[in-house]
Amino acid sequence: MTLVPVTYKGGIFQHDIVVDLIEDLGGYVVQKHLIAQEVVLQCFVPREDIELIREISRPLFGEVTDSPLVGTEIAVVSMSLEIHHLPHPSCDIAEYVRRLGAKSNMVSLARGPGKRIAGLNDEERDVINEHDLAVFLLGNFETCIEYKMPTLRRGIEVPIVLCGGPAIDILKKITDPPLDGYVGNVGRFMRRTKEADQLDKLDEIVAEVTRVLEKKREEIAKDPLSVSPARLMGLIREKVPAILDVTSPTPLTVQMAGLRVKLPYDSFAADLRKIEIEDGITLGDVADVVPSRMRDYILVRILPFSETNTVV
Amino acid sequence: MFAVEYFEVECPEPLGAEYYKQIANDVLLDHNLLKVVNKIHIFIDPKIPVFVAVGILKRITSVIRVRDFANINPQEGKMTLVISDETYLASTLKIFWERFGKEKVEQPDRFTIILYGVQTPPAEIEEIVVADPSESLHKDLIYALRCIAPEGFRLRSEIFTTEKFIFVASENTLAEDMDSLVKAKFAMMGEVPP
Repeated sequence: MTLVPVTYKGGIFQHDIVVDLIEDLGGYVVQKHLIAQEVVLQCFVPREDIELIREISRPLFGEVTDSPLVGTEIAVVSMSLEIHHLPHPSCDIAEYVRRLGAKSNMVSLARGPGKRIAGLNDEERDVINEHDLAVFLLGNFETCIEYKMPTLRRGIEVPIVLCGGPAIDILKKITDPPLDGYVGNVGRFMRRTKEADQLDKLDEIVAEVTRVLEKKREEIAKDPLSVSPARLMGLIREKVPAILDVTSPTPLTVQMAGLRVKLPYDSFAADLRKIEIEDGITLGDVADVVPSRMRDYILVRILPFSETNTVV
Repeated sequence: MFAVEYFEVECPEPLGAEYYKQIANDVLLDHNLLKVVNKIHIFIDPKIPVFVAVGILKRITSVIRVRDFANINPQEGKMTLVISDETYLASTLKIFWERFGKEKVEQPDRFTIILYGVQTPPAEIEEIVVADPSESLHKDLIYALRCIAPEGFRLRSEIFTTEKFIFVASENTLAEDMDSLVKAKFAMMGEVPP
């Protein structure tokens, strides 16, 4: 059974039928948003059952669309929190990838701007490394990007998609070793992205992010995870009731190979490790439960099959 | 597109210049400064690195009076002012309170002010000066130029006079020969530095 990421949009009336159906089919609802009279479900469903969901949700005016970014956490790295970079383009891009199902976090660097003075500290590096992918939003000058990129990428282990003012071939030329993805002609700008050509640019960024993540998915598939992150999410929700009291929009953030649990590490890490998944196998057996650099959250890193020799 | 007489961005990287022209236009437009800037020349060299903006301002002599945004209807024992642009409403109310006393000024909604028992003739009220746009002009211009300049360029030298402005910024200590660079940029617009 292959689970594929999709988004369900429909009316709030009887939407629990769809939620139950997805769960009965063996799928997982990763995020649920109730917006006025509308409900948006970001979920993983079996590929062969998408038509069935469409069929059953038709009388409810539900709509099922592909969302390649569901179940990923993306860091949008902006050079600072000043008016120069926010709200455009950083927020525009962060919001756009969110529409396709990703959970995007903005990471603003303390000393990001400038050429010689730009830098990345250890906390920023670790926070970025906790994501599935980092989108670096740089400025308009190739001289500056060429000079500062080696400093900014130091220690970053997750795939990087670089956005900058110069054309894509120049960006490729000035970064060595090559990065995972590039989007040219998106540097610093001070206007809202609402014209067709600007939206096309955002689509291009999303396409590039999707491409890089697909590549990462393929890598993971070569040595599959011991347990699916979405399954762990369901289990934690069931076994650790404290998560239901967390007011954060996504108390459990699903990543491609892990999970961010927004509970204090000191009080809940031991409980998490003890959760039994199946036949006496606990969460601690198949995943590393480590403190996150983001607040006092917990990060669950699921180990691959090659390390645990179990798949549950 | 531009209401300014001269608007140039000079940069060794042509694409960078194009982006910065767009940024400068957006920022000046957002801050309503295109109508006060007559000429502007921006020079950026990311290699040095340096950012220079020099320009000429239009003279703003007009002040905002009550008649510019309000109609006065004198009635028996009261006067009703119908406001068409509420930008200056706050400062107008403040002036009215000081002049007539709070008990005589009433503001039932956003577009109406009623003055009770005020003896001043309507023609005189119409002439009351409520705002001087040139006062905040320099403040806005400094802010706008800081928005346009690359953020890392934090060492700045700024000169703003009533007619001209010079804004030089870099992330390194500014070189001593900046004056000749500024002079050259003014010469490109056919002007001399202040």
